[in-house]
Amino acid sequence: MKQLIFLTAFLSFAFAKAQTELPELILRNISGKKVNIQQLSEGTPIVFSFWATWCTPCMRELDAIKEHYSYQQKEFGFEVVAIATDDARTKQRVKTESMGRNWPYEILLDTKNVLIRSLGNPQIPLTLIVKNNKIVYRHSSFTPGAELELFEEFKKHLD
Amino acid sequence: MKKLLFTAAAICCLNISKAQNGNFTGGFESNSQWYQNDPGLDNDGDGIGITAPQDQLRSNNYFKLNYNYGKFTAGAQYEMYQPSPLLGYFPGYADNAIATFFANFRHKKLDVTAGNFYDQFGSGLIYRSWEDHTLGVDNSIRGIRVNYQFTDYLEATGFSGNQRAAFELSEGTVQGVNTELDLGSALNLETSIRVGASYVGRYQPSTSPDPNFPATVNAYSIRSDVFMKALNFGFEYVYKEPDAFILGGTAQNGTYSDGRAFLFTAGYAVPGLGVNAVVRSLENMGFYSDREQQGNAFLQQTINFIPGYTKQSSYAVSNIYVYAPQALLSPAENKAGEIGGQLDVVYTAKKGSLLGGEKGTTFSFNYSNWSGLEASFDLANNTYEASLFSRGERYFEEYSLEVYKKINDRFSVKLTGTQTYYDGIIIEGATFRLNGTAIVGDFLYELEDGKSMRLDLQHLAADADRGNWAAATLEYAFSSSLSIYALDLYNYSETDIHYYSLGGSYTKGRSRIALNFGRQRGGLICVGGVCRFVPENTGFTLNLSTNF
Repeated sequence: MKQLIFLTAFLSFAFAKAQTELPELILRNISGKKVNIQQLSEGTPIVFSFWATWCTPCMRELDAIKEHYSYQQKEFGFEVVAIATDDARTKQRVKTESMGRNWPYEILLDTKNVLIRSLGNPQIPLTLIVKNNKIVYRHSSFTPGAELELFEEFKKHLD
Repeated sequence: MKKLLFTAAAICCLNISKAQNGNFTGGFESNSQWYQNDPGLDNDGDGIGITAPQDQLRSNNYFKLNYNYGKFTAGAQYEMYQPSPLLGYFPGYADNAIATFFANFRHKKLDVTAGNFYDQFGSGLIYRSWEDHTLGVDNSIRGIRVNYQFTDYLEATGFSGNQRAAFELSEGTVQGVNTELDLGSALNLETSIRVGASYVGRYQPSTSPDPNFPATVNAYSIRSDVFMKALNFGFEYVYKEPDAFILGGTAQNGTYSDGRAFLFTAGYAVPGLGVNAVVRSLENMGFYSDREQQGNAFLQQTINFIPGYTKQSSYAVSNIYVYAPQALLSPAENKAGEIGGQLDVVYTAKKGSLLGGEKGTTFSFNYSNWSGLEASFDLANNTYEASLFSRGERYFEEYSLEVYKKINDRFSVKLTGTQTYYDGIIIEGATFRLNGTAIVGDFLYELEDGKSMRLDLQHLAADADRGNWAAATLEYAFSSSLSIYALDLYNYSETDIHYYSLGGSYTKGRSRIALNFGRQRGGLICVGGVCRFVPENTGFTLNLSTNF
């Protein structure tokens, strides 16, 4: 019981000091090129969507965003980086699924789960809005229609 | 003592954070089950059904805390399994303590970790440390790991330590070296060409008075990955030195064999079409930090990672007969390893085309085929002959086609058809071989204001074991935060048992709570191509998780 009280107290403290930045990290995209994740959000908000080829709601979310992408991109500078957390088993499917589904996003590979682990290893789908490397919005899970909330949220972080 | 340490560490962190401006990351996850007696879950027809286990209320809890300040990161994970771990988990977890901890320093090209670390060389065929709470796997290594980036295109990693075995450490010491060269960058090519070489060794002295098998087992691998604009391919080869032959958990004196593995991947992708193929063969590739843990049912102390390359499905009827890789020697079954592969094709027909219609249509095809190696065993001498590139008996074969179509802005349909051959004798030590045909229709309707409704109807027709199954799921989302579901998986041709389940989940920002009640079908539960056995049970489940 003491432990529980202690954990609760500690948890509330940790929340107050919660991580709001992305770590210094280089990931590869599906063409094998290195991408520095801290540079992606310089001066502009950007959506980080964590997914995997075995995660049905993740695929639904990225399919749903695609429907509105060119309009949102043109009007509001909406930009998505889709980070695949697929491990050795399914990582070769990442390119197959993302290209086969015509996704217009930059696709990065977090094969060793270094990035998602640094965020506390949450469940996916996990959607972040990041600006100047600061996490300004965080949502996990996807239900149809949630992409519209994401577009609205994104607009709040435009200058 | 451990509690004291934990408190001290926590206070220390508090002080640091007051003084300086570092930050915390971490999370808390709790998975609890309250098992119930269930006379209706009666597979063997003796009228008794399922009796709840001795500790009816069980809970697995994980509390992770990392603190980062500039170049330094330190962290620990406290785990509590009270009063014993959930059914199907390694019983050795029945305890509570700080399970893993680490301190990491990163500066420019240097990355040093002391404590528990996770890493992977190549595809993991030679070495992978990872963590999965659903499977009860955490084979992190406690020791020292150093990574150094010599140039933009050349890096090396070295480590040494002991693997985690529940709340203790493995008897065997594991060490490894990995080098990766990015030839594409080094030569400034358009094409990305990466090559790598690894070494991993295990040292475990034996307590046997006259051991006639090696204490040290070394493994070596080479690999390459090439990415062109649309094409990519890669290969990997692993050789493992002779290790003791394990029979019934005991090392057999005087008999040992080496192992090898080969992996080839190829892909082609252009907008609207993606194709990839994987071919892999394995001979005697079980690699454990404690040799006598070879083939243990709880996936403890594995050094390498051998996932099943087959289609992964989220539907109940498609998860009953799932392939589990066969990497170990088994003279009684004439089994020396496996060979096989899979092919994936994803194609999206454009809007306005004949196949695409108004909204476009996505087709996903998967084929997989796995067989044993051609092998001949000399049972008297515990030796065998096998070839890495031969095909023996067929273990598993599957075709599946999925069609996803958005009918209009609100309504979409996904239809899946799967044909499976499954050798239950080899894969799960059962007494049947089976052919099954599964058909699934999945319908999603979006209502106003983020509300939506999903219905799936599933059927599996099988010619052995428990015969035919039908299932349905109804899911309703009130908003992006709150949803409820009801599922029934019904075995109507043999046992007449309904595996029903009801539940809901609520997600807000960084936290999630899910509650459900129902029956769990026993058998292999597979996550990411790795499977563990779970006994049938009935009860309430509560999952809590939060991250910060």
